[in-house]
Amino acid sequence: MRNKKWLQSSLAVLTAMTILLAGCSNNDPGGNKQTGGNKATEGTSGEVSTDPVTYDYFAFGTNKDVIASNTTIGKILQGQTGVDWKMEYVVGDASTKSGVMIAGGDYPDVISPVGELSKLLDAGAFIPLNDLIEKYGPNIKRVYGDYMDKITNEDGNIYILPFTANVNGYLMEPDASSTFWMQRRVLKEFGYPEVKTLDQYFDLIEQYQAKYPSVDGKGTIGFLTFAGTPGEFFTITNQPMHLAGYPNDGNVLVDMQTHEAKLYMASEYEKRWLTSLNAMNRKSLLDPETFTANKDQYLAKLTSGRVLGYVNYAWQIGDATNNLKAAGNDDLRYVALPIVFDESITDAYIDPPSFVNNRGLGITVSAEDPERIIKYWDNMLTEENQKLIQWGEKDVTYSVNEEGRFIMSKEQLANRNDNEFRRTYGWAYFDYEWPRYGNNSVYEDGNAHVPTSQPEVAAVNYTEGDLALLKAYGLKTFSGFYSEPVERAWYPAWSIEKEQGSPEQIFNQKAGDLQQKYYPKMVFASETAFESIWNEYIAEFNKLGSAGFEKFVTAKVKDRIEGNW
Amino acid sequence: MEKHAVQLAGSTSEDSRLKTLFKTLSKQKMLMLMSLPFLVWVILFKYIPLWGWTIAFQKFKLAKDLFDQTWIGLDNFKSLFQEQQFYLVLRNTLVMSSINLVLGFATAIVLALLLNELRKVYFKRTVQTISYLPHFISWVVAANIVQTALAPEGIVNVLLLRLQLIDHPILWLGVGEYFWGILGVTEVWKNVGWNTIIYLAAITTIDPTQYEAAEMDGASRLQRMWHVTLPGMKPVIVILLIMNLGHILESGFEAQYLLGNGINVEFSENLDIFVLKYGMQMNNFGLATAAGMFKTVVSFIFLIAANNLAKRMGESRLY
Amino acid sequence: MEHTKTARNSSIGDKIFDVCNIIFMIILVILTLYPFLNMFALSFNDANDSIRGSIYIWPREWTLRNFEYVFNESNVFYATFISAARTIIGTIISVFCTAMLAYTISRPEYALKKFVSMTFIFTMYFSGGLIPTYLLNKELGMLNSFWVYIIPGIIGVFNMIVIRSFIEGLPEGIMESAKMDGAGDFITFARIVLPLTIPALATVSLFVAVSQWNSWFDVFLYNSSRPNLSTLQYELMKVLSTSSATTSSGGSAADAFANAQGNVTTVTPTSVRATMTIVASVPIIMVYPFLQKYFVKGMVVGGVKG
Repeated sequence: MRNKKWLQSSLAVLTAMTILLAGCSNNDPGGNKQTGGNKATEGTSGEVSTDPVTYDYFAFGTNKDVIASNTTIGKILQGQTGVDWKMEYVVGDASTKSGVMIAGGDYPDVISPVGELSKLLDAGAFIPLNDLIEKYGPNIKRVYGDYMDKITNEDGNIYILPFTANVNGYLMEPDASSTFWMQRRVLKEFGYPEVKTLDQYFDLIEQYQAKYPSVDGKGTIGFLTFAGTPGEFFTITNQPMHLAGYPNDGNVLVDMQTHEAKLYMASEYEKRWLTSLNAMNRKSLLDPETFTANKDQYLAKLTSGRVLGYVNYAWQIGDATNNLKAAGNDDLRYVALPIVFDESITDAYIDPPSFVNNRGLGITVSAEDPERIIKYWDNMLTEENQKLIQWGEKDVTYSVNEEGRFIMSKEQLANRNDNEFRRTYGWAYFDYEWPRYGNNSVYEDGNAHVPTSQPEVAAVNYTEGDLALLKAYGLKTFSGFYSEPVERAWYPAWSIEKEQGSPEQIFNQKAGDLQQKYYPKMVFASETAFESIWNEYIAEFNKLGSAGFEKFVTAKVKDRIEGNW
Repeated sequence: MEKHAVQLAGSTSEDSRLKTLFKTLSKQKMLMLMSLPFLVWVILFKYIPLWGWTIAFQKFKLAKDLFDQTWIGLDNFKSLFQEQQFYLVLRNTLVMSSINLVLGFATAIVLALLLNELRKVYFKRTVQTISYLPHFISWVVAANIVQTALAPEGIVNVLLLRLQLIDHPILWLGVGEYFWGILGVTEVWKNVGWNTIIYLAAITTIDPTQYEAAEMDGASRLQRMWHVTLPGMKPVIVILLIMNLGHILESGFEAQYLLGNGINVEFSENLDIFVLKYGMQMNNFGLATAAGMFKTVVSFIFLIAANNLAKRMGESRLY
Repeated sequence: MEHTKTARNSSIGDKIFDVCNIIFMIILVILTLYPFLNMFALSFNDANDSIRGSIYIWPREWTLRNFEYVFNESNVFYATFISAARTIIGTIISVFCTAMLAYTISRPEYALKKFVSMTFIFTMYFSGGLIPTYLLNKELGMLNSFWVYIIPGIIGVFNMIVIRSFIEGLPEGIMESAKMDGAGDFITFARIVLPLTIPALATVSLFVAVSQWNSWFDVFLYNSSRPNLSTLQYELMKVLSTSSATTSSGGSAADAFANAQGNVTTVTPTSVRATMTIVASVPIIMVYPFLQKYFVKGMVVGGVKG
């Protein structure tokens, strides 16, 4: 600070600007003190007050910063409680942000830690919520009651309230999708055949390509997947799991009877998947850029309409393929199919009822008035407010038909899905990263909690092509393609926290590195070379010591089955 | 810090010499006034945070105080040096930064010389300004452009096919061996204009009478560039070279990360990416700090060696 | 360029050289201008259309939507003011201080010359790490303050070396004669050395200004909860991260849920990044042409000598 003074006096030219800026950096603390003052008064009064107050909310998700009361929902909730939120979202590297938060010891009042949970827990950033819930949280107890063992930490405390507590049963998403997508014109060409196995899927692509090597002067691309960017490499490595009829448990398959977790890396499943890709490549049906294209290049291909089949999770590409929808040619659009290795395997593309306990919202040690925050959360969790947070206001953002079903017009649905409208209304801020009903929840009156899960709403979006396709397969919704999910008490195993720098975490990283190195080699290998590269891969894999990892996950899975989450 | 203090003390061990020093210093009050506040600054902002190096000897947990940490001796260094991958990434780092160093210097110097030879001032200024534009593009964007250009249907393959230099498109980023070359060229393309600026500034200090004298002697354009302009830039070149040799283990990070993929990983992964994967992403600050210390040691070795070499060759030096 | 003008009787070799040189420069211009034209085209092109690829130097479906998005999403205008303020103040202070320090270590008679230079030079090659630095700035009360943009970067060691080597290149006689006239070191520095090293100062100013203008990490670390201290680059980072359709956390469906919910986006990260590049870099790019007039050959040095 010595420099500062010295500079101020020696550089007279700058003084004007300096004062101006010093002015604005000093102004703000004043503004904040007001809230601080309020906090103090509430602290002393025993009752939870409804005086206006603003708390700091910080989320490690992505969104635009906002003052909650500037949104419709935030304003309504403020009217009920007097509480407003200054909502901030992480920009840049989350791990760095959490690191300096912990180092500095200053936290916002509440944090949604996403991937930073274990670090923040380790640092003792969160306060236990047990007593607060007991005292102020009747609705919290109603919503999370069934999940108490899952939200309770090993030390017996509850630190965060997760976002996936399903209430009143379990409603399936009407438009679930698998990871295997096929262009609709291929299905149309062959009269909408049943496509169930990987061989059938690839075979259909091969037949179509043989018939139409190019369309509109451009060569068709047989098959493509998203393996060119290191961060998305799981797209290609996850598939043996799904093809073998398992849901996304990360890098293990959990046996339904013994509950043993086994890696599918280096398994026969993986070999089969790679053999198929290798065969596709030798037939020139696999895009040569599979391992080098970046995301933009990948999306450009998908939206060109030249690709016959591709593999990725729907959420990886967002709405990029909407281009094709907007173009109005349903034949060029894609549909996801329940592809597995063999007819005998039941697909598991629809997630089983699951509870993700490592995502949630917690109150930090810096919060001066946890009681009011808990009250606010409890108030959010009334059925009425949950409807507000997902559906909005009756007759404004949704309507109710004679049977009491919630419906949306095309326009209302467009608003519900429009990012800008979602922000101003507040859905973008309140429908996730807060204590809430899980996505598969149902209201007392039988309506779906999430609008897109309401079949009446989902149907509004179907194009004529959609309806024709569904009709051809005799289905009502796209979820009809898939088998009903099977209960898996531990699901999802990927949410099992691995300690920082633990052998499990290092194994994970090394295994991933190994796959990244060998997948391209095996896929592009000649038929004769494949076997020897595979053996080399297995040899490298055996050096990693997978037994410890499997043992670790198995133990955690068994713990979960016994209710120790 | 202590090291220098010791040095200083050593050189003034005798009382008389100490006295002369203080005498000189008292005469140089103004120089001290002009530099010592910054010395305080550098100690505060650069040397005091060095306590962070203790992290390299700990199983570091963020929330704990320095004294509550678990001390694990040299374990972090061991896990760094015992990792087989470490030597591969070290090789990649050294190769890539050497390529960048040589290519970066050569191209920037040549471009500065050539720009200096342009006769039309406005053309010269326009070229200068445009050539430094890519510096302002983030690596994400730059990498994207490179990837698009190098795609099978990208401009590079199209051109080479037209010129019949190749008969089928090459998957440039799909051949590990090409990676270093691609990276080197990309770095040059992105930074050559920017790197030239400092040499252009250096050229301005050259006394114009030298050119006149050279011309009188009948020197050609190339001879003047070689005998007048280049020597005029030499002090700056040497200083920059010494400084950059100290950064021999910094080969950049984003470019490798963004252009890297499963196929070229054996060539693209460098020390920084390795540390990111096994250190930062796992919150293993100990490993990351150990790697940082290793880099510092290597830097100092190169720096001191280069500086001594310059000294012995009678060139300008860093200190 | 003055010396080249004197080369009146240019030979054929000279002409060939000039032609080759100009052709080379034109190729260079094409190669280095392309990314900017590409960003320009993408920023004015419809975002969803851009996904289809093949946008090179001209937009296919013109729109101002990307710019509207970037400007609506953040307090860009106020942040631009802060960016400008930190760039101007930071550059003036840093260049002045760095030059002054460089002067002292260029004086051969200065007893602490070597000690001071080495103390600074070594700092180029180590860092205590992020956490200690953060804690230090916190202890110094620089969290949530404008000065955290200025003070930790007051001296650029690289820049110090650059200025020093320029000062050392000055004819010693100039400073000697100033001393004879009874000028102290500060006066010599301010009156004689500063004007004579203008090309170096211009170069260094450019370096400092560009890094001040581009930096967002210090905003992220120290002032992220203070909208009134946010800078343009940081605001643009925010816009970019909001527009990213998927999280980078790698394969956890829960994290992606929030994003998958919002179905209709009118912008994409690619378009936003292009627009950001245009918005953020055009102002700072303008600095260089302005500084170029100080890059005039041998201005005073030759004059004094003659």
